[in-house]
Amino acid sequence: MIARTSPIVALAVRAATPIALLIAAYALFAGHNQPGGGFAAGLLLGAVIVLRTVAGLQQPRYAVALLAAGGIIVCLVAIAPMLWGEALLDQVVISREVPLLGKVKSGSALVFDLGVMAIVVGLVTAVLDGFGAASLVDRGLRPDLAEDGSSPEPEVRT
Amino acid sequence: MIWFLLLLYVVGCGVIAAFGSWLGRNALWVAAIPMAFTALWSVTMLGSSEVTESGVGWIPDLDVSILFRVDALSALLSLMVAGIGVLVCVYAVGYFSANASGMPRFAATLLGFSGAMVGLVWADSVWTLFAFWELTSITSFLLVGFKHTDPVARTAARRALVITAAGGLALLAGFVLFVDASGTAVISEISPVTGSTATAAAVLILIAAATKSAQFPFHVWLPGAMAAPTPVSAYLHSATMVKAGVILVAVIAPAFQDTEVWKPLGLTFGLATMIWGAIGALRHVDAKLILAWGTVSQLGLLITLLAIGTPKATFAAMSLLVAHAVFKAALFMVVGEVDVRTGTRNINELSGLRRSMPLTFAVALVSGASMAGVPPLLGFPAKEAAIEAVLGLADAELWVVGGLVIGGAALTVAYTTRLLIGMFGRSAPMPDHDVAPLRPAMTVPEVVLGFASVAGFVALGWVTDIVRSATVLVAPKAEVYSLLRWPGLTDAFITSVLVVVVGVVLGAVIARRHVVTGPAARGAAVVDALIDGVGRLARRVASRVQHGSLPLYVATMVVVVGAAAVPFVGQIDPDALYWWDNRAEAVLVVMIVLAAVSATAVTSRLGAALVLGAVGFSVAGLFVTLGAPDLVLTQLLVETVIVVGFVVGLGRLATRFPSPTRLWLFGRIAISLVIGVAIAVALAGSAARPSGEAPVRELAESAVQEGGGNNVVNVILTDTRALDTLGEVIVLLVVAVGILTLTRTRSTRRPVGETVQETLT
Repeated sequence: MIARTSPIVALAVRAATPIALLIAAYALFAGHNQPGGGFAAGLLLGAVIVLRTVAGLQQPRYAVALLAAGGIIVCLVAIAPMLWGEALLDQVVISREVPLLGKVKSGSALVFDLGVMAIVVGLVTAVLDGFGAASLVDRGLRPDLAEDGSSPEPEVRT
Repeated sequence: MIWFLLLLYVVGCGVIAAFGSWLGRNALWVAAIPMAFTALWSVTMLGSSEVTESGVGWIPDLDVSILFRVDALSALLSLMVAGIGVLVCVYAVGYFSANASGMPRFAATLLGFSGAMVGLVWADSVWTLFAFWELTSITSFLLVGFKHTDPVARTAARRALVITAAGGLALLAGFVLFVDASGTAVISEISPVTGSTATAAAVLILIAAATKSAQFPFHVWLPGAMAAPTPVSAYLHSATMVKAGVILVAVIAPAFQDTEVWKPLGLTFGLATMIWGAIGALRHVDAKLILAWGTVSQLGLLITLLAIGTPKATFAAMSLLVAHAVFKAALFMVVGEVDVRTGTRNINELSGLRRSMPLTFAVALVSGASMAGVPPLLGFPAKEAAIEAVLGLADAELWVVGGLVIGGAALTVAYTTRLLIGMFGRSAPMPDHDVAPLRPAMTVPEVVLGFASVAGFVALGWVTDIVRSATVLVAPKAEVYSLLRWPGLTDAFITSVLVVVVGVVLGAVIARRHVVTGPAARGAAVVDALIDGVGRLARRVASRVQHGSLPLYVATMVVVVGAAAVPFVGQIDPDALYWWDNRAEAVLVVMIVLAAVSATAVTSRLGAALVLGAVGFSVAGLFVTLGAPDLVLTQLLVETVIVVGFVVGLGRLATRFPSPTRLWLFGRIAISLVIGVAIAVALAGSAARPSGEAPVRELAESAVQEGGGNNVVNVILTDTRALDTLGEVIVLLVVAVGILTLTRTRSTRRPVGETVQETLT
């Protein structure tokens, strides 16, 4: 069934996933002062999803939800300052002392980055969903995961 | 009050939309409520010198605002619009059967139209007027196409929309030029303008008025619009909407009196329309079409009078406008009732209805006589005023304009006579069992309008006051004129008598001639062919341009980008170019070039993807040497995702590229060279001429102070130029939606070209 999906790849991807997620979270929060940001974080998460899809660990799902959420978030962050009479996309910076981390400075740009990240992840998922996942199933590279995660018999291709 | 009434229209539409299925035909009563309030308020404003104004800014930067002004003129017009609207609603209750479908839609559209029309006559800014003008076009389209399952109605509605919307565009252009020439968009403040801009504006606005008011040669949509239910025809296509052009000409005329084109063009439109409409009315056998063509003719007369532009002619035009609204709405209602009760509108099949439908006959006789200009009815003094106005002209104008107007008046009498004889005259009455019983809801509005024609003559002094106080707003010198019950044996009266006698004889003679069918609507056919032709052309162009060949799409884009680089050629400064900042760059560049060249030679798709990845990673290396960690990070991530994505996606395709034909091979080489050279040229050109000092310091400072971050690049992305980022992520969104829609419909694959056809038809 999972004829040509290597267990080594699957294991490696499994092991890499939490590390990649951690790096993505770091990139998102560090973006304001260090290399990183919403776009990079989104790409990291996207890479995770691509790898996990290839390894047969998950299906690319929720593309529409991610895209919609991202779109709504960025638009809200863009419009929100206008409610207070500020300019479109005006930035609000909050900085306060947090235990362990010391002085943390962040702002509405972080929320904006979150939206950007969701859109990027959504785009990667959409691309995978559209082109990739189906073809992998077609080629018998990995089973078509049903909604409950069970693996049905692959369709016989002639 | 203005806003309250307009809001009432909106609320009325909302109520009908919300409770439509429960209201059914009774939605028409709901629709009548806002109209009734408007009519009542308009009555209180009639003839008064009081003015109610109200307005809000709309686009202050462009000096565009929503302005309303209710004075004697606009109150008179809104009384016509709303008053006849109420009667039409009542009439429609009788016209439609109790279980007719689509009644809420009909009532809501009718109400929406009425509101648009009220807004149009109250508008005091050309922009407000334009907005409501377009709204009337759209609602009219919906009403003409009310029977949307009937292809005839659909074609007629489309024709009406295309012609009036084209006029709307002309109006917009005309208003832009007009505001430019006069310096004001407020209608009540306009003053005469001259010059070439004003001339162009005058032509455009006249054309717009001509499309709306069905002037030759734009009249072709109006007879077709008779495919609408008769209440619609009675309301839109006789009493109100087609008057919009006339009203526009009336209120804007003071501005253009001095331009050279205004009068000749207006007279040409008006006279040609008047005569051609009257001839059309004499040729048709469908009573509704006779009235439609008659309306075209009357609108021509109104435009003629307004184009003459003397205070007397304007006064006559205003009187006729009122009289026409009353009698033409009544006549349409009569025809609708005859249609409903006998099942036909063909005057060959109808006969002797005077016995079986006496009340209807009385209304028809009174209104018809008013249309013909016979005393003691409102149409008589109005027509007298018109004839007197044209007889007051001098020299050539007297002979041409006067002669045609008097001739047109005679033809009006003739087609009225023919219509009345056709429906109610002739010896053999139709058998009584062919005539359905009377419907009070239809008869009452008819009688009210018929009575109004009589009452208007009886209370002529009051009518004169109202019309005069309305006219002086556009022609101040008109205050000396009045409508007379008995003008005495003047030239005009004698002419009038002759006109009636000649007309009646002519009408009676033509009525004897048995015409089997009316003439074919050639003008309408031409317009339809034109619209269809544009549609076919669009489909042809679309299937050419959207050929569905991915390589050709890419080639097209690449060639366009290459062309865009041409202007950069001149900007390249050879002295500013140098080989490298850093030796490592040279190594990386060699790698990039090697990878790029081998990408063109690789025959396996997977190999091509990997080689392209190598290009990308080497570019990331270049960014490292330039000290741009953000770019490196992003580039590496993008390349990784793309390469893995390629590997995943390639499953759908064959492992190797198909071997290209020789021609396509050379084509590809040429295209690749074009894009390569173009990008190099553009980069060299823009790098050689940096304009000014790079604002690094300012950006870095503002990043920390305003953006609250130390990473300048990211602060630029999320704060300084956040709008750009917003735009970019929205592009990503659009791309994602495109991918999802394209790939999720992949199961229904069709040959290229067919898809395009189907989506367009």
